[in-house]
Amino acid sequence: MNGEPDEELELTSALVPLFVITNGRGLPPDHAYERTTLVSAQEDTGAAARTLSPEAGRVLELVTDGFLSVAEVAAHAHLPLGVVRILLSQMEESGLIVARKPVPRAERVDREVLNAVLDGLKARFGA
Amino acid sequence: MNRDALVWCLVAVAAIAVAAALVLSRRNKAIAAKRQQVEAALTQRLSEADSQLAVLRGELQQHKAEHDKTIQEAEEAAEESTKAVLKGSARFLQSLAAEQLTLLEEIQLKYGGHSVLGDLLEVSHANAQMARKAQGIAVMCGAPLGRRNRPASVYDVVRSAQGQIRNFRRVEIMQQTGFALKASAVSPVALAVAELLDNAASFSQQGSPIEVTFQRVQKNLCIVIDDAGVGMNDEERQKASALLSGDYRPRLSHLGNQPKFGFPVIALLAQQYGFRVDVTGVSRYGGVRAVVLLPEELWTEEETAPAGDSRVSSIRDAVGRPEPVARTANGLPRRGGRQVPIASVPDRDAPAPGAVPEDAGRAAARSLGAFQRGTLSGRNLASAPSEGADEA
Repeated sequence: MNGEPDEELELTSALVPLFVITNGRGLPPDHAYERTTLVSAQEDTGAAARTLSPEAGRVLELVTDGFLSVAEVAAHAHLPLGVVRILLSQMEESGLIVARKPVPRAERVDREVLNAVLDGLKARFGA
Repeated sequence: MNRDALVWCLVAVAAIAVAAALVLSRRNKAIAAKRQQVEAALTQRLSEADSQLAVLRGELQQHKAEHDKTIQEAEEAAEESTKAVLKGSARFLQSLAAEQLTLLEEIQLKYGGHSVLGDLLEVSHANAQMARKAQGIAVMCGAPLGRRNRPASVYDVVRSAQGQIRNFRRVEIMQQTGFALKASAVSPVALAVAELLDNAASFSQQGSPIEVTFQRVQKNLCIVIDDAGVGMNDEERQKASALLSGDYRPRLSHLGNQPKFGFPVIALLAQQYGFRVDVTGVSRYGGVRAVVLLPEELWTEEETAPAGDSRVSSIRDAVGRPEPVARTANGLPRRGGRQVPIASVPDRDAPAPGAVPEDAGRAAARSLGAFQRGTLSGRNLASAPSEGADEA
């Protein structure tokens, strides 16, 4: 019909899609595994570690013998941050890693309380 | 006197009887002769009619054959033109789906830290299924398959197939293997396995597992897919075998409103790329056991780096693992004291000699790489003591 030769299409996308790597799991809640959360492998990860997917295995390898922040793990593994967070939450469930939450920011104190204190100070020392 | 009369009477009666007998026999003879004549004439006419009939029958047969041939030619022409039309559209869809998958991947990297990633992953799942359908139609129409230019482990090829079906979470790959498929076999085997997995998922209960194992049998590498469905009866099994062996090639127009082209697609792929597929086995759950038999020309025993490994920096290996990790008095691991310069995480913009050229669309990864180099250099500057003295 048409004389053009069939040009082969070259597939450039990754062979294994990310949603297979995460096994279709959803993202963990926002407060879990923030960029600065430090993660490290548990001491004895023997049997459970052998059944991990290659990607999860590599993440585990990265955090073995030391703490690394979630953002750093993502950068080293060259995986999107969210994918790493999903993998990490999965691995924490299986007891393979521990996460150390970042130091929380100073909590914002209720404005009303601050006003009350200010009022009290003014009343006491005059303004 | 009386006696004479009686004798004469008897003689007369006898004479009459003889005469009557004579007359009768002569008539009989005449009738018989006539009958013979008539019979001969009839037989001749009959044979004439017979020969005429034979001639007519022959003509009819000829016409019929011509007619059938014309119909067949018309059908073939229709099939060819349908294929040509479909082929064009399928190729368009195929390349669009492939382009979209690449785009989605870039977006996923770009917005990796955003909650939109969850939705993006679902979109790419839908897109992967569409890409499979487009590829299937393309194969049915004789268009070439999208090609991959890198070998990949069989494990990753099955994971790629897994991503192309709806209920992919039911698929469990029971083992990882170092066997690698040659680049040319990656796409066709992935598509064939995807069609088999889709079949397994469609013909078994929701939620039941689909298990994939690998086996090396003599010079062949087998991908074994077990489902927990109801299995097939003898008739279905025969039909499936006929379809898979290519003995029976259904026309596009015979595929029906809800076309099932899984097996025909597999058969075409198997024939083109030289592997075999068998679905006559019974799985350990009583369902179907599908086996993809890959001859040694399609795979190697060499360990191939899993997909994406080339992207993973080898930071831990490069720096030489400090063992055991130094810890500060507060129990924190000490991160300082790395001996190897920062260049252990090479700049991806300057490819190392002999390195595989960078994938298209890894720009986001590059920026992450820059970030990573930044953190490393930062660490190196602020060396060990700043993290807390041991004596503290």
